[in-house]
Amino acid sequence: MAGTTESLARFAPELVLSATILAILIVDLIARLQPKRPSLLSGVALVGLSAMAGALWLTPTGDTSLFTHLLAFDGLARYFKGFFILAAALGVLFGHLSDEISRSRLGEYYIQLLCLTLGLSLLASAQNLLMLYLALELVSLPSYVLSGFRWWDRRASEAALKYVVFGGAASGVMLYGFSLIYGITGTLQIDGVAAALTAAATGGQGIAGQLGLLMAVMLSLAGFGYKVAAVPFHMWCPDVYEGAPTTFVAFLSVAPKAAGFAALIRFFVVGFGQPAPGAAGFPWAEILGIIAIGTMTLGNVVAVTQDNVKRLLAYSSIAQAGYLIMALAVGTDEAIRAVMLYLGFYLLMNMGAFFGVQLAGGERLSAFRGMASRNATLAITMAIFLFSLTGIPPFAGFIGKFYLFAAVLSVGEPFFYALAIIGVLNSAISLYYYAKVVRVMFLDKAEEGDGVVEVSRPASALLLALAGPTLLFGVWWAPLADLIDKASSILR
Amino acid sequence: MELQTFNTLWLIPLFPLLGAAYAGLLGKRIHRRYGELAVSLPTVIMPWISFAVAVSAVVTLAQAGPEVALYNRLWTWIGVDWMQADMAFLVDRLSAVMILVVTFVGSLIHVYSLGYMKGDPGYWRFFAYLNLFMFSMLVLVLGDNFLLMFVGWEGVGLCSYLLISYYYRERDKAAAGMKAFIVNRVGDFGFTLGVFLLFWGLAAANSPSYNPSIQATTAAPVVKRASAKPDPAKLAEHVAFQASWGLAGAPCRSHQALGRASTLGGHAQGHHVEGHATTSLAFRHVERLLEDPVKREGLLSQNVLGLSLVTLVGLLLFLGATGKSAQIPLYVWLPDAMAGPTPVSALIHAATMVTAGVYMLSRLHFLMALTPVAMTVVATVGALTAFFAATIGLFQYDIKKVLAYSTVSQLGFMFVAVGSGAFWVAIFHLMTHAFFKACLFLGSGSVIMGCHHEQDMRLMGGLRKLMPVTAITYFISSAAIAGFPLFSGFFSKDEILWKAFDTGNVILPGGGFVLWLLAAVAALMTSFYMFRSYYMTFSGEYRGGHAHEAHGHDEAHGAHGHLPRESPKTMTIVLGILAALALAGGYVGLPHLWHLPNLFEHWLAPVFEGSAHTLKWAGYGHGLEWGLMITSILIAFAGFFAARWLYRDHRNPTPQKILDSDRRLVRGVHRWVFNKYYVDELYQKTVIQPTLVLSRALSIFDTGFIDAIVNLVGLIGRLFSMLQGWIDRTFIDGLVNLVGDTVMNAGRALRRVQTGRLQAYVYSLVAGSLLMVVAAWLMAA
Amino acid sequence: MIIGLNHFQVVSALLFGLGLLTIITRRNAVAVLMGVELVLNAGLVNLVAISRYQTGGLDGQIFALFGVVLAAAEAVVALAIVLQLFRARRSVDTIDVTDMRG
Repeated sequence: MAGTTESLARFAPELVLSATILAILIVDLIARLQPKRPSLLSGVALVGLSAMAGALWLTPTGDTSLFTHLLAFDGLARYFKGFFILAAALGVLFGHLSDEISRSRLGEYYIQLLCLTLGLSLLASAQNLLMLYLALELVSLPSYVLSGFRWWDRRASEAALKYVVFGGAASGVMLYGFSLIYGITGTLQIDGVAAALTAAATGGQGIAGQLGLLMAVMLSLAGFGYKVAAVPFHMWCPDVYEGAPTTFVAFLSVAPKAAGFAALIRFFVVGFGQPAPGAAGFPWAEILGIIAIGTMTLGNVVAVTQDNVKRLLAYSSIAQAGYLIMALAVGTDEAIRAVMLYLGFYLLMNMGAFFGVQLAGGERLSAFRGMASRNATLAITMAIFLFSLTGIPPFAGFIGKFYLFAAVLSVGEPFFYALAIIGVLNSAISLYYYAKVVRVMFLDKAEEGDGVVEVSRPASALLLALAGPTLLFGVWWAPLADLIDKASSILR
Repeated sequence: MELQTFNTLWLIPLFPLLGAAYAGLLGKRIHRRYGELAVSLPTVIMPWISFAVAVSAVVTLAQAGPEVALYNRLWTWIGVDWMQADMAFLVDRLSAVMILVVTFVGSLIHVYSLGYMKGDPGYWRFFAYLNLFMFSMLVLVLGDNFLLMFVGWEGVGLCSYLLISYYYRERDKAAAGMKAFIVNRVGDFGFTLGVFLLFWGLAAANSPSYNPSIQATTAAPVVKRASAKPDPAKLAEHVAFQASWGLAGAPCRSHQALGRASTLGGHAQGHHVEGHATTSLAFRHVERLLEDPVKREGLLSQNVLGLSLVTLVGLLLFLGATGKSAQIPLYVWLPDAMAGPTPVSALIHAATMVTAGVYMLSRLHFLMALTPVAMTVVATVGALTAFFAATIGLFQYDIKKVLAYSTVSQLGFMFVAVGSGAFWVAIFHLMTHAFFKACLFLGSGSVIMGCHHEQDMRLMGGLRKLMPVTAITYFISSAAIAGFPLFSGFFSKDEILWKAFDTGNVILPGGGFVLWLLAAVAALMTSFYMFRSYYMTFSGEYRGGHAHEAHGHDEAHGAHGHLPRESPKTMTIVLGILAALALAGGYVGLPHLWHLPNLFEHWLAPVFEGSAHTLKWAGYGHGLEWGLMITSILIAFAGFFAARWLYRDHRNPTPQKILDSDRRLVRGVHRWVFNKYYVDELYQKTVIQPTLVLSRALSIFDTGFIDAIVNLVGLIGRLFSMLQGWIDRTFIDGLVNLVGDTVMNAGRALRRVQTGRLQAYVYSLVAGSLLMVVAAWLMAA
Repeated sequence: MIIGLNHFQVVSALLFGLGLLTIITRRNAVAVLMGVELVLNAGLVNLVAISRYQTGGLDGQIFALFGVVLAAAEAVVALAIVLQLFRARRSVDTIDVTDMRG
């Protein structure tokens, strides 16, 4: 455990981020009349994020606990911090290039976005149930606000209401679950939970005690499940994605989901999982497996029927979470690394896909008609993102899925074989709706009134900058895999 | 050798296999529905992906240091207690060169085929075979043991057969495929026999009763111990010995543990040094075993039928190589193989498959180096083939036949290098040859397409103006093969000539000089016939275009009588890339004389390190080497100027005069050489006819051997396509519809759950949580 | 009667259940938000009681303090959203908020 000074040194990235948020606030106020205010704000945000990345790079790397065991400082946390910095930077760039966010409110948008990022960073490293709860709320509150950012839009306000009520209920249920865990184990530390559980298991608890514990864990799961949009906690997801500004959804569908997975990994693997699966006689692996099956199947099957591309992608992101939970059910180090790798690829392809939808200027499938002839860059990059999401070679998504399935198969038990088979079938289903969008873009002819889609030069560059690595990682993923191999330590 | 796990090597052959499966199983249907590009694009992309993975593997290998090889073990293939072979891929510096050449040239030729095969009715079949070939070839070069190599070896043979008889409706083309198939079986027979004999000998060398060191303690030192046949008791003893060693099981299990522990990364962290398992079929284990002087002596001391066993093994393996790599006496199939589409000739019958023999002998360099007799035979046969095929090439009129004999001749050069002990030079020439010969073949394909499927050079001419890109690339590649200084072929061929001269590994009277002389004359002829073909084709005026009947299989390329036109971009770009490589590909292997680094030799040195100390060199001085280099430059130019003088612009009457000459000697020689020394007729009389007579006598089919087989092939093809059509209609369509409808209905039903009502959402949250508590409790109880 | 941990736990469980019931049954968005607050407070009551009667120390009580502050923040955001909703469609009845579905 690190003392306060050492803790602060390792907390530098978050401190830099907080300072950036304040700086944006001040700049936003001072430069109120400046014509260049949007660029100035984006510049401050990006410089701040770069400084945060630098701080992350420069912090000492040894694994330790910060602030009397509130936060873990380990490979998992560092990887996800880097992940969130990248996602936030892309979020800022999207915001800067998007016409959905009015220029006069850009500072507001960035402040919310970076507060959210701060919460994400804490969520991925929280080692204490209180910290976990606070971080989750710090993620949720700006998310509610940003979902309803375009408040005059009927759908945006509907999305925000659904989000805030569902999110509030889910986090309340989780809080209740935490209080039960506290009652059963007598501690709020996740690692303490593990010790208390082991003691309880060896002490021979009755079935009633088991029920209490199961209840505690399942209720807690509601909070995580809501963050990653797992069935049956997914209901908010399609509506919020559809109603919220696409610019923000690109970020929302990736970063909070990743943070949810980071927290899930820590919660289950550190607190309950190891030695997984089936620690202390509890069927965690099976439960997660069933959730995974439900999540990917529902996501894919419903996505098939959608003709709103944004909503289609919402269901697709539910399905994607299903694949990840499937690997999480395995809980081995290999599986966790596979999850981290897949999330890395998911960042590129999913943010790219949503950004593409935003640029296309329409959400309906018909808005993509003949896109190949209306804006070739957009059509081609969209096709790359969608094929990568499907998981076909030579795109990054294939490699990510390959590792996920490999991790599941390597358990070698019938349940996991079945899980993997269902996963593969689901991938096959997903080809249908992803390819549907591609077909509309490339094979359907543009009709009267479908003009050329204007995409600014920087936006095209950003699309290509996301599509390039999606392709590159498909054939050469070793650098990222190496990085994760090195940086997947988890403080237990 | 240190092995580094690289878990993605298996992807390199996988992608072409996927492509083959795609085009083979779905291609026909997709072609019908979505057109040609939907079939060919995926199959063209697959080799490129393989290439990308191969590059990443080779980069890793290059960074890992000279003694490291990348290894990827999939599963234990054969793990009985006396023999072990894994399904495992290995990339050392030798196979690294091979996979790069195969995937890169292969990918380019796939691209070229897009243009060349356009409009062909069997489009999907062509690309399926081509991908299947890439898969087999990659298995051949990546396999880490004899068995896997043999699978690839047979696989490329099969694809070669399928592609030669691609236009199977034309009887002579189907027959050409048959010929290749049967001739290759003879070679394969030698190969398998050689491998069996080798392992028999190794088992004996491993046995304690043959172990001189043990005998030395019990009796008088017996170093040489000849044994004609092992009696059954002794054989049983070997088995027992190896079983008691527990060699088969143990490494397999530890491998499995390793595979399990291997992690995310393309490369795993664990380096591990291999111990040797004697019964393993892996090349590196055999090499390791033979590094032990006692074991080596044990192998060398064995005789079979009065010949040293090692020599016999070497000769049998070489027989295998003569089949695949078209050397005397089994070269006859290769010129006939030109019946296949031209991209196939370029890929399979010039750049990759035919070099498999060279690769195999280089891979087994440690074995070949032990037997000077076999080395001598390899070098001599190589030199003779180089010479002999070059003479035939002088008088051919069919542009593809010229190139075919030139390929046979160039392969002969490679075997000269192998036989001389200069394995890296053989591989070097293999690589440069892949570039310029592929370019030449593709150039000839471009010409043939331009001239409406005319292959006779007498009916070409003047194409330089009409097809400038083709002409330039053809010229560059001709210069490369002829050995013009600073072109790639110069470096590799000159090195072969020098190594042949300098070798101390052959037991010929006159040593390497004889080899050098044959090869040098062959080089002179090479230069001559290549430029002859260039000038006949590209200079002067166009002589074709009058009512000449085009070959039947495809008339969609243009009306007759029109002037040839330059080929499409997909073809010319490929030609350009290959020509650039033919020009510059040799700079990786600069001669020592120039005091510049020879990267290629340096790169391959660790692979051939094991045999380096066994090989001997005469050690001639630099002065002589300079002399030889200048000689070979002169030779190249001599051939060039002679061809230019005789054939440029179709003006010089001398060739015609010679043809019309009344002198019996001239006419006789010409007829003899022009008819390829009547070797085919000789085989016809001595081998095929007796076989046919025998088959007639034995067989109840009296419709003729070839006919039956050709019909059978056609029948199988028809049955296959009928079956495929049926599967298409019944299963695929039905299944697709069924699954599609089910999913769609389920989707519509599930959509209704998402009512839009906020309360319903929260209800699902609560109910879901409680349901899971109950479910978990039931599962726990 | 001595008030012990069990009593608090029963109260907490009742709060939890009632809160969820409120969310699910009430149509007025403001009332739904009150249900959310009840659910939150159920957890907080539990934490304080367990901290006081069972584990000792201040962990649970500090948690509850943070929880109260967060509940306030959440209420602010949620009410603002309801206000915007009202401005956008002149109604806070959740039955009407079903533009998006399926």
